Amino acid sequence: MDQTFLVNVFGSCDRCFKQRALRPKSEQLNYCSLCAEIVKATEGLRLSQMLSSYSQSILCLVLAVHQVAERVEALGQFVMKTRRTLKGHGNKVLCMDWCKDKRRLVSSSQDGKVIVWDSFTTNKEHAVTMPCTWVMACAYAPSGCAIACGGLDNKCSVYPLTFDKNENMAAKKKSSVAMHTNYLSACSFTNSDMQILTASGDGTCALWDVESGQLLQSFHGHGADVLCLDLAPSETGNTFVSGGCDKKAMVWDMRSGQCVQAFETHESDINSVRYYPSGDAFASGSDDATCRLYDLRADREVAIYSKESIIFGASSVDFSLSGRLLFAGYNDYTINVWDVLKGSRVSILFGHENRVSTLRVSPDGTAFCSGSWDHTLRLGWAWAAKREL
Amino acid sequence: MSSKVTIGSDIRQARRAVEQLRMEAGIDRMKVSKAAADLLQFCTEQAKSDPFLVGIPATINPFKEKKPCAIL
Repeated sequence: MDQTFLVNVFGSCDRCFKQRALRPKSEQLNYCSLCAEIVKATEGLRLSQMLSSYSQSILCLVLAVHQVAERVEALGQFVMKTRRTLKGHGNKVLCMDWCKDKRRLVSSSQDGKVIVWDSFTTNKEHAVTMPCTWVMACAYAPSGCAIACGGLDNKCSVYPLTFDKNENMAAKKKSSVAMHTNYLSACSFTNSDMQILTASGDGTCALWDVESGQLLQSFHGHGADVLCLDLAPSETGNTFVSGGCDKKAMVWDMRSGQCVQAFETHESDINSVRYYPSGDAFASGSDDATCRLYDLRADREVAIYSKESIIFGASSVDFSLSGRLLFAGYNDYTINVWDVLKGSRVSILFGHENRVSTLRVSPDGTAFCSGSWDHTLRLGWAWAAKREL
Repeated sequence: MSSKVTIGSDIRQARRAVEQLRMEAGIDRMKVSKAAADLLQFCTEQAKSDPFLVGIPATINPFKEKKPCAIL
């Protein structure tokens, strides 16, 4: 509006009620110049607040699985507790793995011992003493006839399991399959006993042939120590995911050695990665006290599992059979069970007397085993797990 | 980074990083609403066979201690 002619009207301002020169306004209200400025500023503020709240809600709709799963029935609280304790390690348990027979498991510890247990009877079936301490990785072969382990020796060794009571396990010939230039942090057999995938503190992952010890493929890309890896579940799948101290989770093509996707939303080291049972997503546990779910087809983080009361890092994660539950072991000695779809915690398990370092659900989903720095492994199972709604 | 790295290899590394990023940017992405819906569907389908959700009668628990049975 072209104001060449300013009319000075004196009167009482409708906001501060003082006798001032009033600014002419189009509405009935008359404000003094100071109040006019204040009203304009607050109106602007309200508008921008409205806009930012809209944009935030749009972001929320796009970001999380929880919005899509709103109509899904909540699970209610689970009551779970330790059912069996496996004692026998002389020092911190660092890693464990289930055998495909859903009964046996192998665990390794800081004192260099690798033990194969029968979880039904809690008997120790085999024990190997490694020449190094801090055996940070161990894995059961798919056939159940061998185990692989490694740690500060920078190697991954494969021990065939013998059931002949007269043979001494330690004397049995073992092969050093993998050679890295720094500690071995994780290892896993691929679909057969013939190939093994390793992750190392030297920042690389590698695929090895067990018979010859030959390096088949190496995976470079992490900017720091690689701490964990997991193979895609499908039979024909040839990808795996790795997580490292560079806060990145990277998905690799095993044949080409190429990194196909990378995710960098964690705020600290990623200690554990595990594929969702369908193979379309994976979860990660990190020192930033959160677990996150990343969808591979959407190529982004789709859920975050955290609570203000949880301030200690998550050391290991695993899904239940359907992928509805996420079991996560933390450095505050507890295991939290999360509802993957709703993002809420359904159970908290106490029992360990030191940090939980490793956690795996059995292959048929009926039990889970956690290993801890308190020298023990604890089993919990699904039978008679009470649910209180 | 080591101070011995020449400027040439810095450029090579940067080139490789750019190529990797270009490749990652070029992949086909699905909408989160669809991807999340698929996750949801998988979950609900598999939920019936998930022992932790469904529960199994305690009588067939193989982890339970087997008490010896004496035949009198």
